[in-house]
Amino acid sequence: MPIEEDLFEKLRIELRRGSLVLAVLGALREERYGYTLRQSLEDAGLPIEEGALYPLLRRLEAQGLLTSEWREEAKRNKRFYRLSEDGVGVLAQLLGEWNAISESILRLTERTA
Amino acid sequence: MDLIDRYLAAVRRNLPAAKADDIVAELRDDLMTRQEDREESLGRPLSKDETSALLKDFGHPLTVASRYRKHQYLIGPETFPFYLATMRVVLLIVGAVVIVVSIAKALLGGVDAIQAVAQTLSGLWSAVFVNVAIVTAVFAILERKGFPYAHLAKWRPDELPALSQKQPGPWESAFEVAASIGFLLWWTGVIVIPYTAQAPEFRLEPDPIWGPLFWPVLVLAAARLVHNVILWLRPRWTMLRHAIGAATAVGGVALLLIIYQAGHWVTVVATGMPAAEALQLDASLNLALKIAMIVTGVVWTLGCMGALWQMVRASRERA
Repeated sequence: MPIEEDLFEKLRIELRRGSLVLAVLGALREERYGYTLRQSLEDAGLPIEEGALYPLLRRLEAQGLLTSEWREEAKRNKRFYRLSEDGVGVLAQLLGEWNAISESILRLTERTA
Repeated sequence: MDLIDRYLAAVRRNLPAAKADDIVAELRDDLMTRQEDREESLGRPLSKDETSALLKDFGHPLTVASRYRKHQYLIGPETFPFYLATMRVVLLIVGAVVIVVSIAKALLGGVDAIQAVAQTLSGLWSAVFVNVAIVTAVFAILERKGFPYAHLAKWRPDELPALSQKQPGPWESAFEVAASIGFLLWWTGVIVIPYTAQAPEFRLEPDPIWGPLFWPVLVLAAARLVHNVILWLRPRWTMLRHAIGAATAVGGVALLLIIYQAGHWVTVVATGMPAAEALQLDASLNLALKIAMIVTGVVWTLGCMGALWQMVRASRERA
């Protein structure tokens, strides 16, 4: 049924959107620029909507969770991002929260039969 | 390359000026890297259509640029319920005022029914349009300048209306408020109801008694409006409501007594009819007003006693 597929897609996007910040912060424990970051997210099974990544990176940087610098690589200037000190702390807290949510969901959805 | 430049120029036009260079430089690098990656995998340069597809994948320039803006919506989800509630109240009042004024004009102003309906619909449409725009603009500004969430978070559950408290429906409340607003607009001369349009042979003139009473009547009507608004929107402000209710009831009866003592309230001035007929009409009209005042006086006195009793009861409950 197309309506059900639509609904599932909407719920899936909503669910993934919430976890995207966590994925980006996690991936930026290593320094990356936008293009390679998106590739690594895609390789990990978390593709991000085109054009949505850079605004997210800027927001996280403005919030003090990331740092960035322009550097030349492969004959072109690129902006490299990495997790800031504050970002490391926030990532740890978010991961704790993520694990707690995951455990709760597992407990709630576990089949007892 | 030309397509990518045109795309980036379109994005730039919608970016915040201070950050545009930096953002465009980053997007350019991303698009160029993508293009090179594709070209490498295909072993040839991308065609115009392929570059076009790559840009379409990236997103519409407006969408891409809008993501860099601090505010991506006019009214956010936290403000929206208050926006909707305010809009509802404003539109109910506006709708009711337009309808009340139109009915008054139709009954007193000699406008025929079809004309009155047409005027009402046209008035309703422009009033609704203007007020929707004003409320939306106010909330959009509040959304950007800081919505008073802290103030709203101070709401107290015990201020919610009691289940036993009889509350009038929204339209009933809106019409009461609208009638008060309509009266105030008429009394202050903002709207003019041409009550002599159907009688070219005479006109009505208010007697001198009304002159000194302009301000007392205005204050009384304004207080009544406040009372009706509280009854509708803040029913738990019982003490204030009962105090205003009692004060306006006492004031109303006192004012009515002063007006009644004048004995003559409007004068019929003949502009075509015989003087004797005008005198007769004058007498009948003033007699009708006298009877109406007696009836109103009795009703208001009872209402005044009721309002005073409610105030006493509310203060006892509070104590």
